[in-house]
Amino acid sequence: MSRLALGGISKRFGEQVAVRDFNLTVEDGELVSFLGPSGCGKTTTLRITAGFESPDMGSIVLDGVDVTDLPPNRRGMGMVFQGYALFPNMTAAENVDFGLSVRKRPAAERKARIAELLELFGLAHVAGSYPHQMSGGQQQRVALARAVAIQPGVLLLDEPLSAVDAKVREELRTEIRRMQVQMGITTILVTHDQSEALSISDRVVVMNRGAIEEVGTPAQIYAEPRSAFTARFIGAMNEIPVRIVSAAHGLVERGERRVTVAGATGLADGELALLLVRPESLEPLGPTSGTLNGDLTMAGQVEVQTFLGATTRLLVREVPTRAGDPTALPPTQRFAVDIPSANAGRWPTGSNLSVKIPVGVSRLIADRSAPGGVLSSSATSGGKAKPYA
Amino acid sequence: MSGTSITGEATEETLPAVVAGAEARRSARKRPGRGPRMPVWAAVTLLMAAVYFLLPLYGTAVFGFSTGKHFTLQPLFDGLADEGFQASLQLSLTYSIVTTILALLVVAPTAYLVELRFPRLRTAIEFVTILPFVIPPIILAVGLETVFGINSPINLIASSWAPVLLIGGYFVLTLPFVFRAIDNALRAVDVRMLSEASASLGAGPVRTFLRVIVPSISLGLVSAALLAFTTAMGEFTLAALLGYATFPVYLLNVNGYEPRMGEGLVLVSFVITWAGVIALAAVARKAPGTLAFSRGALM
Repeated sequence: MSRLALGGISKRFGEQVAVRDFNLTVEDGELVSFLGPSGCGKTTTLRITAGFESPDMGSIVLDGVDVTDLPPNRRGMGMVFQGYALFPNMTAAENVDFGLSVRKRPAAERKARIAELLELFGLAHVAGSYPHQMSGGQQQRVALARAVAIQPGVLLLDEPLSAVDAKVREELRTEIRRMQVQMGITTILVTHDQSEALSISDRVVVMNRGAIEEVGTPAQIYAEPRSAFTARFIGAMNEIPVRIVSAAHGLVERGERRVTVAGATGLADGELALLLVRPESLEPLGPTSGTLNGDLTMAGQVEVQTFLGATTRLLVREVPTRAGDPTALPPTQRFAVDIPSANAGRWPTGSNLSVKIPVGVSRLIADRSAPGGVLSSSATSGGKAKPYA
Repeated sequence: MSGTSITGEATEETLPAVVAGAEARRSARKRPGRGPRMPVWAAVTLLMAAVYFLLPLYGTAVFGFSTGKHFTLQPLFDGLADEGFQASLQLSLTYSIVTTILALLVVAPTAYLVELRFPRLRTAIEFVTILPFVIPPIILAVGLETVFGINSPINLIASSWAPVLLIGGYFVLTLPFVFRAIDNALRAVDVRMLSEASASLGAGPVRTFLRVIVPSISLGLVSAALLAFTTAMGEFTLAALLGYATFPVYLLNVNGYEPRMGEGLVLVSFVITWAGVIALAAVARKAPGTLAFSRGALM
């Protein structure tokens, strides 16, 4: 029931800049996720908001009141921790009661509220259990109930689902969202799990190296990422080399084809750049390269089929149209194409596939921003970091 | 929502059962149809230890509870009726209880603050607390005597401040045990996270310490209290050299002129100490919440 404004927050730990000029307003009843790789400053920002760290610069304003210098116990923010942080010597009901007893609420009111919350989170049957007697999912529900019991102005969730197993995680995140909407609690969720952030947030703040990379709705972040970092961090992404023919006209070249794309400004003529395309945006054409005009294509041989449920991902080794093409994928890299699983039989392992690269939904970035090998990590054996959605 | 919690419970509940089952099968294979058998070397060691520890007790009992020919409890009754015994026991009990309370009151909050706010001070604090191991009590006694003794301008021994001097000494001697017991307990729980959770729910530092931290480390506090109490109760060097008539000092004196009575009282003190240890341990087990928690922590 509150509006939270973080203004120009900065924080260093020694030489390390943890948070850099962080500006964000979280509207009343909104759920905003901080998403980024580990060490991007998302947790530090949350801890500064909660009052567990003090910012070197900047302010935290809650409903028009500057709370920057208030100790955490006087900020009225509920927090849920990664490791539950339940009080081991108290039962589930006593844990939920803790914040209420601190506030010296009348006994009858407390009792009613505890019962209501335990009911809401499906915990009535474990009310008298101690934390070590409960499953991980139950413990995290108790932690949630305890945090919302005090009717916090802002609810802070620090990777609340990373300690529970996969099935419970998915269920619990829907539950968090349902509860959050129902109660209208302004909420910040810190997570490194993009599917978590995209699935339940009103807005997502993508963070990188202590700074906000971009802020947007989940749909915007996924479909129209404004920064190359976001484009690569969210979902799976193909990075296809092209050569800039004329930056002024947005003309790029790949193999024997030339097309006009947006976003070439700032790049130099003759330079190699990368076209970022999602696997589901690549359109299969048929067994051989078509003679389509106005679009780029690439062709190759299917090496691996990965069944993902509704879709199947094909990892394809490119067969360049001519030898020595500088815009061909390096031999160690594969490109990924997502097709409906019903059609997967048409492109078995070893078959030839050519795809259309729809430039309208692609994004151009300079090749120099690519650190070493481009798509290799994601499109080959899925070895390294790139997370597939 | 209940669907998952049921699944979750089922997995966690079946696990110990499976483990227990495997355990049972394994042991059944090892010794079919027979009870557990102790290896010979273990039995011999146990027997030797038992002889080593129990024989002196037996000797004490035989000597203390006989006239030389017949069994009698008379020396014991004489001892219990002795004014010196009552006074010295009372003195020792009082000093030991005060030392224990003081040690807990000083060390528990200190160890908590070091763990939470000043982790860098940890090494220094640890060093200070083990000093009594490095500096023998006799050095401490001589030092205290020099600074606060009857020949010093700050003569505490002859003043009404006398208890402070000995209790202060006891406090120092118990530090290594008390700090270690409490510090271990603190490190077994996530002090930082619990404190932050408590603060986020609106509790100030004092309430957090008393309502969240203290109950979470109750077992450590009990063992710290036991160690402090028994250390102070049994301390001899400091009390004797500074001239306090504590129970151990009295026992030694009495052994000089009335050995049978002394031996009877030794047995009494032995029983008292063990009764105290068992009582405190029992209290810790029955304290609400701690029972369940201690099981969880021990498993």
